Amino acid sequence: MAEAARAEVVALEAFPRVVPGVEPGRVLGLVGPPGSGLTRLGLALLAGPARRGPVAVVDVRGWLCPPAAWEAGVAPERLVVVRCPERSLWGRVTAALLEGLPAVYAEVPAGADEALLRRLGALARARRSALLLRPLRGALPSGLAHLNLMGEAVRWEGAGSGHGRITGRRLTLRAAGRGVGGSEQVLEVLDDGSDALRVVPRLAAAPAGRAV
Amino acid sequence: MVLAVNGLAAAAGVAAGMRRRQAEALCPAVVTLAADPAADAAAFEVVATAVEDLVPRVEVADPGLLFVPVSGAVGYYGGEVPLVARVAAAVDEAGGQGGRLGLADGPFAARLAAAAAGDGPVVLADTRAFLASLDVAVLGREEMAATLRWLGVTTLGALAALPREAVASRFGLPGLEAHRLAAGEDRGVRPRSLPEDLAVEERFDPPLRDLEQAAFAARSLAHRLIEGLGPWGGAPHRVVVEAGSPSGETRSRTWRSADPFGEAEVAERVRWQLRAWVESGGVPGGLAVLRLAPADRSDRGRQLSLGEDAASELEATRALARAQALVGPEAVLQARPQGGRRPGERVQWHRWGEPAAPPDRDPRAPWPGRLPGPSPALVPPAPRPLEVEWDGGSPERVRLGSRWEPVLAWAGPWRQTGRWWAGEGPADCYQVVTSAGALLFEVRDGSCYLAAVYD
Repeated sequence: MAEAARAEVVALEAFPRVVPGVEPGRVLGLVGPPGSGLTRLGLALLAGPARRGPVAVVDVRGWLCPPAAWEAGVAPERLVVVRCPERSLWGRVTAALLEGLPAVYAEVPAGADEALLRRLGALARARRSALLLRPLRGALPSGLAHLNLMGEAVRWEGAGSGHGRITGRRLTLRAAGRGVGGSEQVLEVLDDGSDALRVVPRLAAAPAGRAV
Repeated sequence: MVLAVNGLAAAAGVAAGMRRRQAEALCPAVVTLAADPAADAAAFEVVATAVEDLVPRVEVADPGLLFVPVSGAVGYYGGEVPLVARVAAAVDEAGGQGGRLGLADGPFAARLAAAAAGDGPVVLADTRAFLASLDVAVLGREEMAATLRWLGVTTLGALAALPREAVASRFGLPGLEAHRLAAGEDRGVRPRSLPEDLAVEERFDPPLRDLEQAAFAARSLAHRLIEGLGPWGGAPHRVVVEAGSPSGETRSRTWRSADPFGEAEVAERVRWQLRAWVESGGVPGGLAVLRLAPADRSDRGRQLSLGEDAASELEATRALARAQALVGPEAVLQARPQGGRRPGERVQWHRWGEPAAPPDRDPRAPWPGRLPGPSPALVPPAPRPLEVEWDGGSPERVRLGSRWEPVLAWAGPWRQTGRWWAGEGPADCYQVVTSAGALLFEVRDGSCYLAAVYD
């Protein structure tokens, strides 16, 4: 934590420079158990592509609450939520969206076919669309994502023993994959709910040119 | 009661609103006819059609009252005066002698200009200046006009000079509408509805089993549909696609678009829809009937904003339309903020491609007792039962799946009084933090329900 305190806090816009995952034609994996705070992070990462055009969320559970995306900087008129509880349609719906949108955030239903996921990755590359995959259970097939962000820990701030309120969180992530040059990085994301997330690169493993 | 008079009767001093005996006293030779709105509409149809031949998409507001959108026609006919002259001549030829014409920015001012017209038409150069001198009575709201006069506001100009918020606060929605009209901010012309028989249909014997054949037929049908709408100057924003099987089963889906459909767009949607049905086995035995019908024929279009790229916008629209074909229009949604206390209440959903209705609850209102930010990312469609162990008044453990998770920190309760008049009881909301995540739950009638997850 001492390193975190010394590290410079950067705006979310700089996130691609720290971990270049949300880029056209790239697949980003958001892997972690429910409650690890990755849904809100994924929505926040849509804010950049949403400036170029409409972005979509494939909502398998029908639970998505758009204010979390709005608070993270996605304009309401740019966010389209596609509810798709049927597993048989999930791949086709996601593929249809990838064909025309700059970014798609898709919850991956449990037991999704590996070949289908790889086809979607290839389609995202071909269409220059960013694909953010959030598996609801388990991990993504190896090598699929250009960058995997794995939820390591989350610390909620503000709530006490019957007093206060949740005001923010510190989300510790492990970044792995080609997006970070093959070496793992640990990042800490600060989210106070009022503005876009801020990212604190915490581990010195990041090349000096990347840690802003 | 005299409802309408012709020119001769008006010259003799008869006016609308007089009693019949009064009219007969003023003009003993007057002929009175009983009101017959249906006959009026039939007689006026000739006039409406004559004007429609010159300018498409007219709005018949009442028998005898026609609004004509002129923004395009002015350029075509070489100016406002030549256009008005052509319309006046067409009205005369169609048997509408004595018709009055007014040209202004919006139907409200145009109607008043026509009412003020004498022998010749009135073309307003400055609509707002014209309106400013008129009495507030022209708004057609006696009670409001009386109150405005009592307040010293006698003209539309004086009304328009008042702050809009103040007028809205005093008179509500009618006041807001009156202020808009007084300020010259009128609605556009709403074109009259088109005939109902514009649907096109094709029957196939033997039924089509090949998607390419069906797509070819769809192109031809789309051509017929759009061609049929052409003379009416209409382009549909919604098209109903219906497919029938040999056994009589019918599948139907309505396609919507923010921009009016053209022939290619309709053909494309029908092809996507047929493919979706064929792949899901929705039309067993092949396609026996294909029918396309315009479900809406308004002239509302959408202007791209600066910075929007038309090509990528079109690609995005196509992508979302394909997703709509797969999961249905009810599953492709957009949301806008609205007021509310619970996270789910602060969202107003609407189907993508359709205009959003005004929010039910004002999002700018303070909403005391609302859950403070940051907002949870996940909210179940309906609160789910949740097991919570309490120690005194404090939550100790919550059951998530098969495991009991100790509560590390908690906040609340926030009391939601609920809509007691609708039989809804009060609820207490708690935020709890566990090692497996943070969540929001509510206690109602002694039971706990999961309300949201901070994921």
